[in-house]
Amino acid sequence: MSKQINVALIGNPNTGKTSVFNALTGLNQKVGNYPGITVEKKEGICKLPRGVKAHIIDLPGTYSLNASSLDENVVIELLLNKNDKDFPDIAVVVTDVENLKRNLLLFTQIKDLEIPTLLVINMADRMRYKGISLDIDYLEAQLQTKIALISTRKKEGIDNLKHLIANYKEVSVTPCIKASDIDKEYFENLQKAFPNQLLYKLWLVITQDVNFGKTDRKEIDAVANFKTKSKADLKRLQQKETIKRYQFINNVLREGQTIDVSQAKDLRSKLDRILTHKVWGYAIFFVILLTIFQAIYDWSSVPMDFIDSTFAFLSEWTKNQLPQGAFTNLLAEGIIPGLGGIVIFIPQIAFLFLFISVLEESGYMSRVVFLMDRVMRRFGLSGKSVVPLISGTACAIPAIMATRNIESWKERLITILVTPFTTCSARLPVYLIIISLIIPEGRFLGLGYQALTLMLLYFLGFATAVLSAYILNKVLKIKSKTFFVVEMPNYKLPMFKNVALTVLEKTKSFVFGAGKIILAISIILWFLASYGPGDDFNNAESIIKTEYAAQQLSEDEISQHISSYKLEHSYIGITGHAIEPIIRPLGYDWKIGIAIVSSFAAREVFVGTLATIYSVGNDDEATIKNRMAAEVNPILGGPLFNFASGISLLLFYAFAMQCMSTLAVVKRETNSWKWPTLQLFIMSGFAYVVALIAYQFLK
Amino acid sequence: MNTIIQNILVFAAIVGALAFLLRKFIWKKSKSKKACGGDDGCGCH
Repeated sequence: MSKQINVALIGNPNTGKTSVFNALTGLNQKVGNYPGITVEKKEGICKLPRGVKAHIIDLPGTYSLNASSLDENVVIELLLNKNDKDFPDIAVVVTDVENLKRNLLLFTQIKDLEIPTLLVINMADRMRYKGISLDIDYLEAQLQTKIALISTRKKEGIDNLKHLIANYKEVSVTPCIKASDIDKEYFENLQKAFPNQLLYKLWLVITQDVNFGKTDRKEIDAVANFKTKSKADLKRLQQKETIKRYQFINNVLREGQTIDVSQAKDLRSKLDRILTHKVWGYAIFFVILLTIFQAIYDWSSVPMDFIDSTFAFLSEWTKNQLPQGAFTNLLAEGIIPGLGGIVIFIPQIAFLFLFISVLEESGYMSRVVFLMDRVMRRFGLSGKSVVPLISGTACAIPAIMATRNIESWKERLITILVTPFTTCSARLPVYLIIISLIIPEGRFLGLGYQALTLMLLYFLGFATAVLSAYILNKVLKIKSKTFFVVEMPNYKLPMFKNVALTVLEKTKSFVFGAGKIILAISIILWFLASYGPGDDFNNAESIIKTEYAAQQLSEDEISQHISSYKLEHSYIGITGHAIEPIIRPLGYDWKIGIAIVSSFAAREVFVGTLATIYSVGNDDEATIKNRMAAEVNPILGGPLFNFASGISLLLFYAFAMQCMSTLAVVKRETNSWKWPTLQLFIMSGFAYVVALIAYQFLK
Repeated sequence: MNTIIQNILVFAAIVGALAFLLRKFIWKKSKSKKACGGDDGCGCH
C-alpha cells in the first residue's frame, strides 16, 4: 500500500493557488464545506514520485495568520491543531512573483509554526516582462526552505514541485523569526508558563479571535487566559511582530531579488515606469490635475448659470404669485435663495467626483498613492496617509476615519490633525463664488485664471497639510514605526456603472447632507434678518422718510434705504455689528461675519447665508453672484468683495477649522477633547493671522 | 386670516428648523455601532 501524506496549499488571494491545486490534482478533486460553516473545502489526490500519494487541501486565501474572517479561521485552526486528520505533513505556500514581499509575510508565519513549509513562486513566466530576477539558491538558504519556481499558465515547474513535496522530510522546520525577539520579557514568561508548547503557536492562540471548534478546548482556554498584557498592548506586540517580519523579508529580498524596471516589457510595466517616474510621474499628475480643474470650470459654467437664474426667477415668481405675508417672504427671501446657494454647485461637485472616480477606477490613483509616498516619508507621514489626504478632497470625516489602517499611532495622529487642511468639497462653493468675483475670466496658455486659482488653493491645502505634518513630526514625542504596502491593481477602462454610481452617491450626500442644514439655517437667518428689537427696527419707515425728506428720492430708492436700515437694526444686524470689530481688520463687514459664524456648522453654509441676507428686503431678480458683486464696503466705499478682501476670505477658509462635524470625529478617533480643541484654536488662529496679513498687504 | 395662517406657518418653520439644528449638533441620537459615520452626509457609505 502506498504512503499518503497531507499537503496544505496556502497563500494570499490571487496568487494562483487554485491553479496550482488544479495542476497537481487534475480531475482527482472534490468540493465540499468545512463542518458547520459555509466555507468551501477543496481537496484532491495527487500521485507523487516514489509511489507517494498526496492528499491536497486547497485552503482559503489569507494574507496572514491574524484571522479576521471565517475563511482565515479555517487556515489557522488547521495549522494549530496537530490532532486534526487533515493536519499537513507539509505546507505549500503559493506566492506571486510580482508580490513576493507581501506574500512572504504569511510564509514566515507558517514556517515559525515549525511545519515543513515549501515556497512556491508562481507566475514565473512574467519575470521576464517585469524585469525580475531571483537568486533561488540564496533565497532557499536565507528562508531555510526549498523553492519551486513554477508557471501554472505555461505548465512549467509542476514536476519539480511534485518532487519537492515527495521529499518533504528534507524541508527544514527552522523558524524564520524567533518569537522571543518580539518582546523578550513577555515571551520568556509565556514559555515558563507553558514549557512544553511551541512559543509562536502559544502567541497565535492568545492573539486570535478564532473559534477553535475542533481543538482541545481545555488546552486552548488555558493559553488564551494567559494575558499579562492589555488588549491594546497585545495589538502593539502584533504590530511589532509584523514589522520584524517585514524587516526580515526586506533583508532577504535585498540580495535575493532584483527588479530592473528598465527591463520590464509588458504594457502595465511600461505605463508604471512612466506614471510612477520620479520626474515624469509628478509632471503627469500635475497636468492631469490642471486638466481636471479647467474642465470643472469650462463644463459647468452653462448649467450653473441656468441654475442661478432659475432660482432668482423662482424667488421673484413666489413673491409675485403667492399672497403677500410673512411665509411668502420666508420662501422668497429665505428658503429659495438659501437652497439656490447649494444647488448651484451641483455641476462642479459632480464633475470633480466624476474625475476622481475615473482616476480610481482606472487604477491610476494607486500609482498616485505610491508616487506620493516618496514625498510623504520626508514629512513624517506614511504612504497610507495619502489615502486620507486624497479622500479629504471629498470630506474630512470619512478621511479621518480612513486613518484607522495606519498602524503607527504617531503617523495616525498626525494624519488626523492635518487632514482638515485638504480642500474638501464643502470649501468648493466658497472658493468658486469668491474666485468668480475677484479673479478675471482671462486665459493664459489656454488655461483660465480662475481654474488656476482654484488649483492653487487645492495645492495650498495639500502643502499646508504636509508642512504641518513635518512640524508635528518634530514636535510630538511619540516613538513608532510603520511599513507601507500598496497593491497596484491592473490598469483598466473605468466601468461606466461604477463611475455613475459614485458621482450620484457623492453629489446626493453633498446636497442632502448639507442641504438640510442650509435649509434650517436659512429659515433662522431669514427670521433674524426680518425682525428686530426696539423702535429703530419697528419705526424704520418713518425714520428713513424723515431723514431723506429733503432729498428728491424715487420710491425704489426710499424702499432700498428702508430695507437696508431694517437689516442693520434686525437681530442679525445687531449680532453682526457686535462681532464686526474682530473681523473688520480682515476686510469683512458684519454680513460676512454672520456668514462665517453660521458656516461653522458646515462651510458651504457661507454662500447660502450671504444669499439669504442679501435677499431680505430685495425685490429684484438678481442672482447670488450679482448681489455679492454689487455689495459696497460701508467704510471704504468700492466693492466689498475686492481682490484684497476676497484673497483674505479664500485664505481664511483654506486654513480655518470651520466644521463642527470634523471636530466631533477627531474627538471620537483620538478619544480626547485635547486634540480637537488644539486643532480648532491653532487652525482658526492661523487662518485669522494669514487672512489679516493678506488683507493688510493687498488693500 | 391670511396673515394669521402665514404667521403660523413661519412659526412652525422656525421651530422645526431650530429643533433640527439642536438635535443635529447638541442632542445627538445615539448611533448604531455598525454605522460608519452617522448622518453627517459625509458620503462615507
